[in-house]
Amino acid sequence: MDTTTERSAWAARSHELAQLMSRSALGDRAAFARLYDLTSGHLFAVVLRIQRDRALAEDLLQEVYVNVWRAVGSFDAAQSQPMTWLTSVARNKAIDSLRRAQSQPMLQSVHREDEDDDRPDLDQQMADESPGPADLLAQAGDARRLDTCMQGLTAPQRQSVALAFFDGLSHAEVAEHLHQPLGTVKSWVRRALMSLKQCLERAAQRDAIGV
Amino acid sequence: MDYAKPDLADALAAQYVAGTLRGRARSRFESLLLAHASLRAAVRRWQDRLIPLTAVLAPQSPPLRVWQGVERTLWPQLAAAAKPLPWWQRVGFWRGASGAASTAALALALLLSVPTPQAPPIVIVLQGTGDAAQPAGSFVASFSADGRSLVTRPLQPVAVQTDRVLELWAVPPQGAPRSLGLISSSGATVIARDKLPRRVLEAASTSALAVSVEPPGGSPSGAPTGPVVFAGKLTL
Repeated sequence: MDTTTERSAWAARSHELAQLMSRSALGDRAAFARLYDLTSGHLFAVVLRIQRDRALAEDLLQEVYVNVWRAVGSFDAAQSQPMTWLTSVARNKAIDSLRRAQSQPMLQSVHREDEDDDRPDLDQQMADESPGPADLLAQAGDARRLDTCMQGLTAPQRQSVALAFFDGLSHAEVAEHLHQPLGTVKSWVRRALMSLKQCLERAAQRDAIGV
Repeated sequence: MDYAKPDLADALAAQYVAGTLRGRARSRFESLLLAHASLRAAVRRWQDRLIPLTAVLAPQSPPLRVWQGVERTLWPQLAAAAKPLPWWQRVGFWRGASGAASTAALALALLLSVPTPQAPPIVIVLQGTGDAAQPAGSFVASFSADGRSLVTRPLQPVAVQTDRVLELWAVPPQGAPRSLGLISSSGATVIARDKLPRRVLEAASTSALAVSVEPPGGSPSGAPTGPVVFAGKLTL
């Protein structure tokens, strides 16, 4: 996958998407329909990655766009990238659905599978249909700055962040999956995020002064 | 916890965006976001850092029903209107029917201009709806002015399949047609007042008459089921 192209497409489309969003905020339904056409494929992928139940994911995506229509007036193109804003709405909806589903039988059975040592692990289970979270993070890391910064993470840090970020696993679920104590996983994730942040900030500064 | 501490605020924002802040802590953080601009700014910075990672996910086309659900939720009236209109609400249908009826109406006006001791009957010409597969011809329906009875008569016998009958409908300006009963395809049919809906002759209750082809005994559903073969507007 050529992620450099994808990531620049992400930014290149910003202008068009921002215009569609400001027209949607004024009640332009045609603009909103166009916005849906351009973005629903990505948002559905994001939701599906976290909420694997397809029917549930469809319901969530519908709620996402209903929320987007209602909240689009609060989008500020000066402060956020349209795709980042939209993806965040979708991610929050998907993560909240995991919280609601925590006591439901289907998810419990997923947890039991995870605990069963005879079962192939989550990465192997997903290998046949979709790339594992670590693969995704590696691909995402192709972008120049992130790539450098991802290299700075230890392998367990990278794996913990990937499981949490792409698949919506909680600290406890990541710990279960990696057979590590909860406290260890929490500190891996915390340190990974902080070193990512510092690294990205340093990279941005270097770019700014043209080194 | 002291959310005003920048380090703590930033760490929480990171966990929130990464998705590891969960359960009650997540809802608590979301309610704090509403009140604290600095927290919102921290969240935005983390979104800028992390969310572009999702660009590597291959897009997944959602099924059409998702968009339909969005429309239904946001604009219920629009969604209702998007359903194909029944024939009695289609403008084009009546445009054709009333154009064809105008010559007949002129002829009737001449007839009706002859002074009569009583109020003239109300006559409606029901023209063929132009469907080539359907029987040709036209019907005349006349209400007595007091609405006491309705007589229908084809101008010439209408050929209808042997296992089908013709049913007459009163079409209101809004809503579904009401059946006025079965009518003969070859001769006069008299529909007595007690078989007519009350106030059938008021503009609010009837704006047109129509004839549909139905199975023996008439429409099983109470609404026209077969093709509408004749129709005419009622001008009161």
